Amino acid sequence: MTPPTGTGTVYDGEPADGTAAFTGYGRADGRIGVRNRLLVLPSVICSHVVADRIAARVPTAVSAPHDHGCAQLGADNDQTARTFTGIGTNPNVAGVLVVGLGCEEIQSDDVAARLADLGVPVRELSIQSEGGSDRTIERGVEEARALLEERRRETAGSLADLTVGIVGSDVQDSTVETADPLVGSFARRVVGAGGRVVVAGTERLSPHAEEAVAAADDAVAEECRKLLERRRRTPARTAGLRRRAAERSFDELSRSWDRLPIRDVLAYGERASHDAGVALVDAPSGFAEAATGLAAAGAQIVVHATAEGIPSGHPIVPVLKVTGDERTYRALSGDIDIDARSASPEAFAERAIGVLDGAESCAERHGLTEFAITRIGPSM
Amino acid sequence: MAEFTGFRRPDGSVGVRNHVAVIPTSVSASALATRIGADAGERVRATPHQMGADQPTPAREQTERVLAGTGRNPNVGAALLVELGTESIDVEALADRIAASGKPVETLSIREVGGTAAAIEAGTERARSLVGEVEGARRETADAAELVFGVECGGSDATSGIAANPAVGNACDRLVEAGGTASFSETPEFIGAEHILAERCADEATRERLLERVEMRENMAQLMGVDLRGAQPTPGNQEGGLTTIEEKSLGAISKGGTTPVRGMVEYAERLPTGGGLVLMDTPGYDVESVVGKVAGGAQVVAFTTGRGSTTGNPIAPVIKVTGNPKTWERLSNNVDFDASTVISGESLSDVGERLFDLLLEVASGRPTEAEYRRLEEFAINEIQPEELVGLRGEAR
Amino acid sequence: MKGRVLDGCALLMTGRDTVVTALEDLEAVREIALGEGKGPVVLREAVPFGHKVAVERIDAGDHVVKYGEVIGEATERIEPGAWVHTHNCESTRGRGDVRSDGEAVAGGERR
Repeated sequence: MTPPTGTGTVYDGEPADGTAAFTGYGRADGRIGVRNRLLVLPSVICSHVVADRIAARVPTAVSAPHDHGCAQLGADNDQTARTFTGIGTNPNVAGVLVVGLGCEEIQSDDVAARLADLGVPVRELSIQSEGGSDRTIERGVEEARALLEERRRETAGSLADLTVGIVGSDVQDSTVETADPLVGSFARRVVGAGGRVVVAGTERLSPHAEEAVAAADDAVAEECRKLLERRRRTPARTAGLRRRAAERSFDELSRSWDRLPIRDVLAYGERASHDAGVALVDAPSGFAEAATGLAAAGAQIVVHATAEGIPSGHPIVPVLKVTGDERTYRALSGDIDIDARSASPEAFAERAIGVLDGAESCAERHGLTEFAITRIGPSM
Repeated sequence: MAEFTGFRRPDGSVGVRNHVAVIPTSVSASALATRIGADAGERVRATPHQMGADQPTPAREQTERVLAGTGRNPNVGAALLVELGTESIDVEALADRIAASGKPVETLSIREVGGTAAAIEAGTERARSLVGEVEGARRETADAAELVFGVECGGSDATSGIAANPAVGNACDRLVEAGGTASFSETPEFIGAEHILAERCADEATRERLLERVEMRENMAQLMGVDLRGAQPTPGNQEGGLTTIEEKSLGAISKGGTTPVRGMVEYAERLPTGGGLVLMDTPGYDVESVVGKVAGGAQVVAFTTGRGSTTGNPIAPVIKVTGNPKTWERLSNNVDFDASTVISGESLSDVGERLFDLLLEVASGRPTEAEYRRLEEFAINEIQPEELVGLRGEAR
Repeated sequence: MKGRVLDGCALLMTGRDTVVTALEDLEAVREIALGEGKGPVVLREAVPFGHKVAVERIDAGDHVVKYGEVIGEATERIEPGAWVHTHNCESTRGRGDVRSDGEAVAGGERR
């Protein structure tokens, strides 16, 4: 595997249970961020270039450009608004500047008010009330800088403080046979230490609803069944994925979380609230949309198992790219953090902890990120 | 005779800009395309989007139509297609569709060149070399009949239907009179005004298609089990005085002018040159709708706004027109044309003539406010899985 | 501009319209002369620029007409001089909420 490039330090005063730990940024609600990002969040597609420009001029700032925020109907509107709240409250986010246009369905001041209620340092601007893009960019840079706070990475955390996001964007042999079991070993380690794992990709489980429901806690079994049945009625967003998933067994498809019991089921954009263990997130398998769903659930880091080697990162969470595919690893070695064919569970954990501690993941090193929010139905 | 100066392409079409487009085939290559666009120089324009690598067939075909149309747009002198290398879109076939217009097209696979870092380097180099191939092109005089003019409205208020849209409509009439093509779209914003458009259709087939498409868009509300009023008119429309979708639509359709409706094409389907007034079936969502018309071949777009939208497009100049005097004053850095003089008494014909002149100037190279600021929003309308089942009767 | 400007402050798009559009922010109790032998309407409330004022009585369920076309229907009785907007006028189109429950569209009529 690629050797860890960061310090990869193991916390000195190792917790009694021997779990390795990391240092991050303590937040007011007790959670610990592993990055200290200032999020410039456009409330609608129409303000996304302005948000990008603001973020480009402010240190630690990232923007989250997306296609939504207006002309959506019902459940899609709710989902987009919920996702804004979810990502704004991600522990990696130190503060949020919400930038709207002014006439859109999801109003920027409402987004800001919800985040403020949840204790997030927040500012808000809209292009129409500022009087155009130039002034909004200037004011936005000022507001974003005002949100910046000198913060040191100094809060010690154990694996129990983690929410790890897991997404597999395919069900190819190399993923199911090689990458997922390695990812699963880390999931078990985190859950064993009292941490949380959130898993995306409900469309692949829909052909295996019975087994998935059996793996769920009694309290959420009914919710899990309903969700997977709804997914079964809906065509998949990725062609052929569900068909290929139907040819797999549930056992094969649950390896990335080592078949741990499902403690909760989350809507897309919803924040995780279960104490510890695995929660299933109703997100598609496409990387960008899944990663946003996992970040909204509160994941501080996302592990992405990919046979194809999809290289993009995410603006809010560091992403560990794992492949079990030999050709992909050879073609894209600079984009892949972990070669699952050779990495041991210990090496994987070490690399993950290094990244939690601040070492750059491959995607962070080349700096290209993707942000997308999934949708349910057509927009108007 | 109305004329402008533009770049004559090998297929005879005339570009009003001379861009090199960097077009990703999926979301997995989009960030890279943006990076190449930023690194390879002023003439290069990226079209990043969020379409997945393996969409269901009808959605994939629509994505391909948008990407091919974007590359074929006469404003693009050369195109670089970028892929991860595992997409279901065949990048070579896509390149062939664009190259059929005779312009240089190159492809780049992230996997083939050995990863992101290498692809940034190789992509930037290829884009620069394409710039070298196109930058010798010179503008020559062309007839206004060679223009395809896309018309959009967004952030509407009551002044849109009174001033800005009729002014743009008058400019459309002038272009159609001169032998060109004008196109407006946003099918949800025909709801409540479709009977008027239907009466203007040149033939029965167009009329039937129009009514069928309006019904399909209206049924989306039923598909989602909601009241359309949740999305239309938007809060800003309402604050600006628009009460219902019917009222918004009746104001919106005036932006196409008064000539007969010659046809209605699919989202991103090629618009005919010299075709008169042609509709396109698009959502009302501005960015996706503009992208559809530009993929259909529109070289210039006029975009009316009451509240003040600031969005542009990477490939076509977007002329912002407002009928709201307060917006003209407050957002002067983002709006190109003041049509509020209609309200204070200038005749529609005079305002329309001034706007038509501006259209020819912009076509001839005068940059718009959105171009100065490089406000270049790009998004593809994705056919949703629910939509395929619920509205188009596809099998699950 | 299409239509007729009334008293320099309101636009009547066609003779069939039951509403006019305010061309400036209008104060309550302002009088607008309608001309053509009709008496003036007195604004019952302030009406912002671009918003609509009823120029005749519109009963609940009656069409509201602008551009000479139906833009919606009154949800309550609207007096002349009243502000007409989402609080007293609603669309008759795109009611997926009602129709998906198998009920008739509110108010009944669809073109």
